[in-house]
Amino acid sequence: MGRPRRYGRAVTRETTETLIIGAGPSGLAVAACLAQRGAPFTQVDAASAVGSSWRGHYDRLHLHTARAHSGLPGLPFPEHLPRYPSRDQVIAYLEAYAAHHGLQPRLGVTVRRARREADAWAVETDAGGFTARHLVVATGYNAVPRRPTFPGEASFPGRVLHSRDYRTGATFRGQRAVVVGNGNSGAEIALDLWEQGASAVTLVLGGPRYVVPREVAGVSAQQVSLAYARLPRRLADAIARRTTRLALGDLRPWGFREPEAGPITEVERHGRVALIDVGTIALIKQGRIATLPGLARFEGADVVSPDGRRVPADVVVLATGYQAGLAAFLDGADAVLDDRGYPRWHGAACPPLPGLFFAGFRNPATGALRESGLEAERIAAAIAGR
Amino acid sequence: MDLLRHWHPVCLSRELTHRPRRVWLGGVPYAVFRTDGVIGALPDACPHRGMRLSTGRVRGGQLVCPYHGWAFGPDGVGKAPGTPQMRPHTACLEAVERDGAIWMRRPGATGPFPAVGPGGFHPVSVTRHRAAAPLEATMDNFTEVEHTGAVHWMLGYAPEAAEAVQVEVTARPDAVRVYNRGPQRPLPAALRALIGLGPADDFIDDWTSYFSPVHTLFEQYWIEGGTEARRPATVRIGVVYTPVHDDVTDIYTFVHTNAEGSGPRALALRLMLRAFAEVEVRLDASLLGRLEEGRGGLEGRRLGRFDKALRLQRQRIERLYRGPA
Repeated sequence: MGRPRRYGRAVTRETTETLIIGAGPSGLAVAACLAQRGAPFTQVDAASAVGSSWRGHYDRLHLHTARAHSGLPGLPFPEHLPRYPSRDQVIAYLEAYAAHHGLQPRLGVTVRRARREADAWAVETDAGGFTARHLVVATGYNAVPRRPTFPGEASFPGRVLHSRDYRTGATFRGQRAVVVGNGNSGAEIALDLWEQGASAVTLVLGGPRYVVPREVAGVSAQQVSLAYARLPRRLADAIARRTTRLALGDLRPWGFREPEAGPITEVERHGRVALIDVGTIALIKQGRIATLPGLARFEGADVVSPDGRRVPADVVVLATGYQAGLAAFLDGADAVLDDRGYPRWHGAACPPLPGLFFAGFRNPATGALRESGLEAERIAAAIAGR
Repeated sequence: MDLLRHWHPVCLSRELTHRPRRVWLGGVPYAVFRTDGVIGALPDACPHRGMRLSTGRVRGGQLVCPYHGWAFGPDGVGKAPGTPQMRPHTACLEAVERDGAIWMRRPGATGPFPAVGPGGFHPVSVTRHRAAAPLEATMDNFTEVEHTGAVHWMLGYAPEAAEAVQVEVTARPDAVRVYNRGPQRPLPAALRALIGLGPADDFIDDWTSYFSPVHTLFEQYWIEGGTEARRPATVRIGVVYTPVHDDVTDIYTFVHTNAEGSGPRALALRLMLRAFAEVEVRLDASLLGRLEEGRGGLEGRRLGRFDKALRLQRQRIERLYRGPA
């Protein structure tokens, strides 16, 4: 009497040359580059559609980098789109990209564990196991929400949500809103809440950060960054610091703090790109959006800043960013991740773990999509040997 | 009727200098002014003796009345120099400068801000034109393409092709969408080349009107005859209708395009668009002043297939814009 056989997905084990985890922009780009070289691969994604991070973003979001510099290998964005495509247009592009290259990722497949065995990668998923010579991890910069907790939060009567769960400010019309986080999402969500008729909006600024306009006289922040990339870092830092201040003026009266390092060093060392302003700063300067230097605790229905200022709130949006969440499934992750949990190698083999490649874990000022494309080409060349 | 619960543009940014300006909304005058990067908007009558504050000047973050020197900040809080212990104040409005215009509404109102800004597009121009016609009649003009053949020289469809124009109207509780498709009217070859059109292209004018405030967002583009391929050029226009008085409406036009870059072709295209918007809207505005009495009401009028959206829009103006909140 044998054990009852389980049919279906649970007990299968497949062997593939290359397994790509993730079907967002980076994973699709790697898949396209491999397909173009005739190299076999299997691609899985936990979500039910390609580009799931983009689908999860709020409605107002536009690509912060210009369409012309953001296409993935083998298919540019359609020319009729605006300079900065909207979230929906990016999703449509990713779908078209997959179709154009004939990519058929296996969707709804969650990776539980990936470990290096003898001379291959053993990857366990909820739909069976894979053995692969090469493993491409493209699970995204934005995989897991980073969600701090604050003293007094439990007794706050209003709603607290992470930006991942924020769709549109229309939900909060007439409410007093506080947005925590001075990254792009925080600034844009504050703007969206104001536009959609929140009765008061306060943006809680975190640490020091540079702020640049999305474009000046038709030249985008991304184009400027591409130009800086060709200069020595110290020179680029000096110019960038000067021009950043010229572009939006001195923002210190509104509680913004300027980092000690230059803008270019900030990106390279700390992975902190400048906030790309899409209109929030003008509203802050006109007194329509208030700022607080930080969030120390909740007290009753108020949020309280470290310097003791109180702001009553009906809703608090935590635009506190994301983590890569790689250590959760990748054995031996310590050897390849930095102290923020992001890979130390990008678009190239990781010496401590042979056969492993990370794609799309950088967010440079020159554009994350553009970078993903460059990394994908390099990874595909390394895997296919051409 | 409570117009102040909606955002309205009341003048262009470039029309508001360091001096205050008198603007009208719904037949009521207001004084708008700039101070320290903040925009103030107050009823244009000093609470003291009723002098027009808009004839005063801005000093020390306050608008100073030219009559007795009483002065008021953007929050309406004032001071009377002759009686320092008195704390005069006046009603104030919430004002903001955005997308090249000065906007205002009542403080605490929750009407959404209309999406007339660039989105991801490249700004081309912002203009204001005044039509001697009520808001409804003005909006009518912008939300049917039948008039374009007779009135305009470049926009819309040629009179002889009007019959071939497809019109699809979709009504939602808070919006009315109209999709028009028909043959692009003949253009000089140089202009066609500039926009990137072929001789047999279709022009698509696809707009949606919203009612808090009353505005229409147009997306205009072209489809190549035969292949059905969309041409790269896209124009996005936002039009907001501000009722100045019952019979006077200001038309604010926010023009954007995806033609980017600083090359001569993109530059020429944007200049052409700017001139086109100015000329075509001016034609509409002057035409509207010639409506016979009834001032554009629809009662007893004989409406055609292009006019389907007009009734739907009027219902929504009554309910969402003029009606109770």
